[in-house]
Amino acid sequence: MSNRFVEQGLRSPVNLTWEVTLACNLRCRHCLSSSAEPAVNELTTAEALALVEELHQEGVFQINFGGGEPFMRPDFLQIIDACHARGIMTCISTNGTLFTSELVERLSRTSMMAIQVSLDGAKKETCEAIRGKGTYDTALNALELLAQSPIPTSINAVLTTDNADEIQDLQHLANQLGVTLRISRFRPSGRGADNWEALRPTPSQLIDFSAWLSENENIRTGDSFFSLTSQERQGLGLNLCGAAKLTCCVGPTGKVYPCAFLQSDRFEAGDLRENSFKQIWDDSEIFESFRGLRIHSCEDCQRFDQCHGGCPAVAYHLKDDIEGGDPECLERCVTSIADAKAEVVAA
Amino acid sequence: MASAGCTEMAAAGITLHPACRVRQEGFGLLFYDIRGPRLLFAETGSLLAPDHFESMRSKDDLPAGLTEQQTNVLQNFIVKLLERGFLREQ
Repeated sequence: MSNRFVEQGLRSPVNLTWEVTLACNLRCRHCLSSSAEPAVNELTTAEALALVEELHQEGVFQINFGGGEPFMRPDFLQIIDACHARGIMTCISTNGTLFTSELVERLSRTSMMAIQVSLDGAKKETCEAIRGKGTYDTALNALELLAQSPIPTSINAVLTTDNADEIQDLQHLANQLGVTLRISRFRPSGRGADNWEALRPTPSQLIDFSAWLSENENIRTGDSFFSLTSQERQGLGLNLCGAAKLTCCVGPTGKVYPCAFLQSDRFEAGDLRENSFKQIWDDSEIFESFRGLRIHSCEDCQRFDQCHGGCPAVAYHLKDDIEGGDPECLERCVTSIADAKAEVVAA
Repeated sequence: MASAGCTEMAAAGITLHPACRVRQEGFGLLFYDIRGPRLLFAETGSLLAPDHFESMRSKDDLPAGLTEQQTNVLQNFIVKLLERGFLREQ
């Protein structure tokens, strides 16, 4: 991907994450937004539909819906219908608990949508230790219903220390179901911050996962793992953080952030109840700072061209330093293992 | 009476792939493919408008007033878009 055009600045994001509600019927231990009850003063239906129209006018290609559980919002079908009527493609991240054959039939009426169903382990006990009792079977039920439909569907698994050994089995499961597999990165925000030490993959697991990814080009990762991406996967996706350059996040109450993992007052770029999306995209100082963000401490690294310093959100959450470089990048994983071995030898 | 069969082949045309979108940017056209997602940045300036790809048209159907060099560049570009799956030929 040529970054020269991104550096010049795009007139709007190519896609964005829209967390339409904080309401969720699960309490997953790694939830990036600590979803549970709806947020106070979430966007009304009229406000949500007006936002869809504005994003259409600005040329946004795709909206990735998440939450919370988006289907907990009573007007969610109305919102995605409005997107599709304007040619905006959608991708929905769901826990699958509310899926019925009737809902899948309803969703199948468009060809502009993809669905990701969360499943955090190939084994029931692994998945349910993270997502709660009953979640494995309900997710499988949703996946089976979707697999019989024309809707492009994937299993979405967040890589943790508990399921790192089950990724290959998850791929087999996806193949059996006739869906694809997407692996997302576990980041220390929301309840994920509370459970970071318990769930974070070890450096060794991350290195193994990086090697596995390089042999499995059909596995999707979105922009989750460019910090780990091997040379073999270069060209398959982003090799830099796209926050405020290619993408951004709209929260349930209409506040706009660089990405879903930085939904805090410190990173609020604007409020859609006070400014238009275009004003926020064009004029936000927060967005401007992200567009100029350079991870100078990583510039001498041999892998700099492959990750450009990795994920600023992880650097912020773990080091309180947005410019500090990704603490879990491939290079640092290798170094930390070498350091640990050296300590053992010295002892 | 049996009607005469149509013996004329319709000319092949090109159009944007249903999984793709295109919009105007300052540098030219930005293509997006949800199947990756993938992006393609085309430094076409204002030579081609995004709606050029909205309806089926011949590969050689380009805007009027182009120089020979611009025509060659755009024809090669359209071949590239076809090869990469952003356009489809029917």
